[in-house]
Amino acid sequence: MDNNSEMQVDTQKIRDLINQDKSMIKLMLKVCAHCSMCAESCFLYVHSPDDPKYIPSYKMLNSVGYLYKKKGNVTWEDLERIKEIVWDNCVLCTRCYCPLGVDIPRMISLARKICRSQGVYKEYNT
Amino acid sequence: MIKIEQKPFQEIVDCIQVYDHILNVGCGGCASVCMGGGQKEVNILNAELEMYFDEKGQNKEIGSYTVERACNMTFLEELDEVVKDYDCILSMACSAGVQFIAERFPSKPVFPAINTVAIGVDRDIGLYEEKCRACGDCVIGYTGGICPVTRCAKGLFNGPCGGTNEGMCEVHKDIPCAWYDIHERLKAQNRLEDIYKIREPMEWQNQVQRAVVHPDYAHRYMEEE
Repeated sequence: MDNNSEMQVDTQKIRDLINQDKSMIKLMLKVCAHCSMCAESCFLYVHSPDDPKYIPSYKMLNSVGYLYKKKGNVTWEDLERIKEIVWDNCVLCTRCYCPLGVDIPRMISLARKICRSQGVYKEYNT
Repeated sequence: MIKIEQKPFQEIVDCIQVYDHILNVGCGGCASVCMGGGQKEVNILNAELEMYFDEKGQNKEIGSYTVERACNMTFLEELDEVVKDYDCILSMACSAGVQFIAERFPSKPVFPAINTVAIGVDRDIGLYEEKCRACGDCVIGYTGGICPVTRCAKGLFNGPCGGTNEGMCEVHKDIPCAWYDIHERLKAQNRLEDIYKIREPMEWQNQVQRAVVHPDYAHRYMEEE
């Protein structure tokens, strides 16, 4: 993370990014039936079946879903938590499957894009 | 994963110095993992370029954008609106990603800021070792998991050359002889017969561009016979 802890999260930028795909985000979040069929399609979840944080729908709802619900008004702690979800719990292999047509990889990618816009991203030096 | 390293700074400058609006595109995949071309590296290179051109009295706009994966066209779609404002694209993705960017934006000059070095492994943070040359005909099942194409200086397939010296390669005294290592590993596994067989010469498959079609998806891309 290359932000200064004294700097504010640019919530307007987050809102702008959300608004670019607002109708898509709204539809995806509404369509999700919480059926958890996507869980079986995620190899990370299959290898950690006791951890619901690897379920693709969980990842989507707790990243983009959270950003959308909060209208972009999030804190650095929120972004760090989302960073963990969309980078540590997901490798964006794009193999997740949704019977209702939710484009989960696109949503995870959008969450990463929003994090990157705030200088929050995974670093590989540790 | 793919391992990359940044090109010499002057080489990058020479490519882009005639352009006033440059977009530096990073990649969130392999390039980020080996700390060669991710968002952080894009920011650092841009700062260096801005400082260089400022000192030269040249006014340039150097933008930045990091896609999640430059080797998947889906992730390049978000560049469509961004590149319109730039004269050229500089990319820190691996060469596969840079070529994909060039393919998507054929009217924009595209320059690589990195050299694609290897398919390799992470020995440690910041230390990456080549393991595979993508020859297309993997024999490591017979060589104890050691690749003779990558590890042997001569790419030999049926044992060491006459230059092997107490387990080290004649190219340099600090380079282990691949075939000595292969022999020792197979000996420990009681599988020496694997290299006692004379094998057909490898038909080098990485001399022409290849495509991989997954059998389950062949019906999409190939005409039925």
